Amino acid sequence: MGMRVSTPQDNLSKGLSIVSRAVGSRSNLPVLSNVLIATDNGRLRLAATNLNDLGIVSWVAASVEEDGAITVPARTLNDLVNTLSPERVDLEVAVRTNTLNLNCGAMTAQIKGIDAQEFPIMPEPTDEDQYLPVPAQLLRETIKMVAFAAARQDSRPVLTGVLMEYDGQSLTMAAADGFRLAVREMPLAAESSENFSLVVPAKTLSELERIGANEDEDVYIVLPKDRSQQVLFHMNNVDVSTQLLGEEFPNFRQIVPQETTTRVILDTASLLQACKRADIFAREANHTIQVHIQPQEGMAGVVRVSATSAETGENEGFLDATIEGDDLSISFNVRYVIDVLNVIQSESVEILTSRPDKPGIIRPLGDSTYTYVIMPMYTGR
Amino acid sequence: MTIRILGADVANQIAAGEVVERPASVVKELVENALDARANTISVTSEGAGRRLIEVADNGDGIPADELHLAFQRHATSKISHIDDLNQLYTLGFRGEALASIASVSRTTVISRALGEDISGRMLIEGGHILVNEPTGAPQGTMITVENLFYNTPARLKFLKKDATERQHISALVSRYAMAYPQVRFSLSQEGREVLRTSGNGHLEEVLLEVFGLETVQQMLPIQSQADERRPDRFPVVVNGHIGQPSLNRANRSQITVFVNGRWVQDSSLTYAVVQAYHTMLMTGRYPVAVVLIDVPPHEIDINVHPTKAQVRFRRPEVVFSAVQRAVRRTLVDHTPVPQLSLGSSWGSPDWAARRDRLTQVTTQRMTQLGFDADGTMIDPPDDDDEPATGPPRPRRNLPLLRVVGQIGATYIVCEGPSGLYLIDQHAAHERILYEQFSAERANEQIMIQELLEPVVIDLIPEHMDLINANVHLLEQVGFRVETFGRNSVQLRAVPVMVAQGDPAEALMAAIGDIECGDMPMEATAEQKMIARICKQVAVKAGQVLSPQEMQGLIRQLEACEAPRSCPHGRPTLLHLSAEQLAKEFGRLGAI
Repeated sequence: MGMRVSTPQDNLSKGLSIVSRAVGSRSNLPVLSNVLIATDNGRLRLAATNLNDLGIVSWVAASVEEDGAITVPARTLNDLVNTLSPERVDLEVAVRTNTLNLNCGAMTAQIKGIDAQEFPIMPEPTDEDQYLPVPAQLLRETIKMVAFAAARQDSRPVLTGVLMEYDGQSLTMAAADGFRLAVREMPLAAESSENFSLVVPAKTLSELERIGANEDEDVYIVLPKDRSQQVLFHMNNVDVSTQLLGEEFPNFRQIVPQETTTRVILDTASLLQACKRADIFAREANHTIQVHIQPQEGMAGVVRVSATSAETGENEGFLDATIEGDDLSISFNVRYVIDVLNVIQSESVEILTSRPDKPGIIRPLGDSTYTYVIMPMYTGR
Repeated sequence: MTIRILGADVANQIAAGEVVERPASVVKELVENALDARANTISVTSEGAGRRLIEVADNGDGIPADELHLAFQRHATSKISHIDDLNQLYTLGFRGEALASIASVSRTTVISRALGEDISGRMLIEGGHILVNEPTGAPQGTMITVENLFYNTPARLKFLKKDATERQHISALVSRYAMAYPQVRFSLSQEGREVLRTSGNGHLEEVLLEVFGLETVQQMLPIQSQADERRPDRFPVVVNGHIGQPSLNRANRSQITVFVNGRWVQDSSLTYAVVQAYHTMLMTGRYPVAVVLIDVPPHEIDINVHPTKAQVRFRRPEVVFSAVQRAVRRTLVDHTPVPQLSLGSSWGSPDWAARRDRLTQVTTQRMTQLGFDADGTMIDPPDDDDEPATGPPRPRRNLPLLRVVGQIGATYIVCEGPSGLYLIDQHAAHERILYEQFSAERANEQIMIQELLEPVVIDLIPEHMDLINANVHLLEQVGFRVETFGRNSVQLRAVPVMVAQGDPAEALMAAIGDIECGDMPMEATAEQKMIARICKQVAVKAGQVLSPQEMQGLIRQLEACEAPRSCPHGRPTLLHLSAEQLAKEFGRLGAI
């Protein structure tokens, strides 16, 4: 006989919800639509992968009576387990028929599966691998502040990824989509890894952020020794793995302007509100907003945010601001501005710029670890 | 060799070479004379493709018997008397050459009775010499018979084309004049067969029906009155006529007929104006069918360019040009219906069925009229009471309200409209939307340019490099900022916002790709081509699955387009299968 395992419904449900995000949706390999269920040293190991940018393994506490493994359609199992009452679930594999028998309270189900041998081998950390521990909370925050800037479309595949660069002291993450760039530097205490530079699919990192390890935990960035094109994020009960994007990431340091002539300090929430209002009109006009920076002699300056649509109309919002430097009007894609204001936690932001055809920088005030660069828009002649 | 003044007959023969090129030229001169004589019935007969006989009879003012001999002298005319009259010309002819020229190369007989005279005269001229000039009895009007054309100029005779070609020239000419003068009854018989007969009731549509046939006329649209476009700063240009829908097209320009002040002209710039108006509606290499009548004040044109007067010069050609283009364009934009989907047998939609009925009815009416005046009595043209314009309701200017049903083949959007089923080509539709947006931005000098985070370096083959160097300015106008970067590469620093979502390098290549091979219909400017090409590259592709919201959004944007029914390359964006067609195909209608 095959596997015989029992586990509480809520454990199983949580584990399945974590791994099922990795299930390939349009795969021509049937086993990729399945989730692997296997016993592993007294725990239950659940795994799913699309063999590309996402593979997730999750361990669930269980009482194992007999070792074994099977794969069953992820959706069937997930949907079924979600409807069960919070009781003990008994899982049993009939090896001969490749069937998973599932009992919970007054319910029994037989789910037809595929032999576990057909499931791809999932990468696992080994002692020989290099690894870098990063505080989970810090990593999660950084992913949130950076990954959104990656490109959605893959006309340049490397831009759909996030650069993760370690130089012995800090881990820098950067993402860009051709028109904007987000960079954050994380100083790390531990000096445990050799320097590295990886481009990880942004989608994988967003999943990692969603899974959310415990706050005081570390996430280990593992570079498998024998598989240089993969990276593994190892946590207590979850491993997330992905293929790296091979190409070279643009030299982002060169993109960040070193000198700017105008510096504006604004209230983050007010600016976000003004941008959202402007976008109601700007969405008809290529999302273009104009930011008019107007310093005033001896008093606080004013920033006027405006949008005009030939069809809808126009709007203007006025914001108090601290302005150093010359007055200036510059246009941006308002979506790019809203994106960054949504992730900046600080009360105030600073905008640094110099000319209508030069990039603008947005930063949380007093936080030099984060830099966001937006390329301007302007009308041709 | 001594220099001597040529004798009148030799001079006339030489002049005839310019005016009388072929039998059709004789017909032209004689028909124009008849029209200038205010005839309302003109009948043309030709035999032997016009070589043996051309006869033009009218019921116009006629020539007084005692002036007949003058009519055949060179520079003899009743139409003008002073050079200034040329500026106020309302007649077709004025040179006073035609009759003399014709008479010098043929045997010509004229029988004419002038208005209000009792006596009519008959004169026979051969090779320019008057042989007979005698009084005779005849009805009012003029009948000129030209026999043995070119009998004394064998070279000219030799260069005539095949009979069929010469006949075709004559019939083309007479039908053109019939179009320009729908109030005149024309008839043409060739080799004893009646080829054309119009009723002279003033309705152009009926003449067109006679000339082109029902099938074609159904696909033509009347040009709207231009009254509201007259501006005080410009002289009035009135444009009338009928133009074909884009679906009615030909491989050459020969079916574009332009009249200026009732005169058929072969002016390439006016033809060009008509073709231009179809810009983005016709496929490459296809030309519309159109009959355009332009009226301008006589002092605005110079007809005295060429003896055959096939060309005219305008004092302000650009005003006429743009008036024609505007009028044709407006008509097209307002009235081009959605192409009908034909399911084997072609069932007309209700609109067209009504129009077909009306047209067939007109034909029958005319037939009864013909029967009535078969005894040869001249009757006045019928009254204009039954206004032909009160036909079917005009098709709506924009698209009908459409509800998305779904997508097929990830290529076409299926929609339900008030009058049946519509299929939309998602790529063509999106191309049209982008093209109009882009063109509007360009027209307002408002093309938004998005600076790139880091310049994209593009390696090019030398030809492309040259193309880019030669067109840097044009590229900049549409929003690409390109800089040379090394010998065979460029740096792209900024792109039009519209293409920002795609690959900037690909967009640039698409833009210059078109400069290389003009794949736009007709004579579009390089900039228009470039814009169209960019839009094509950016537009949703066939094979792209769209969400219902995306499809709905696409249709809403298409509705806002000025010419939503074709893509910038002239392919249709949507097809219509009417409720009526569906009902008939399923045997719910017509089977009773």
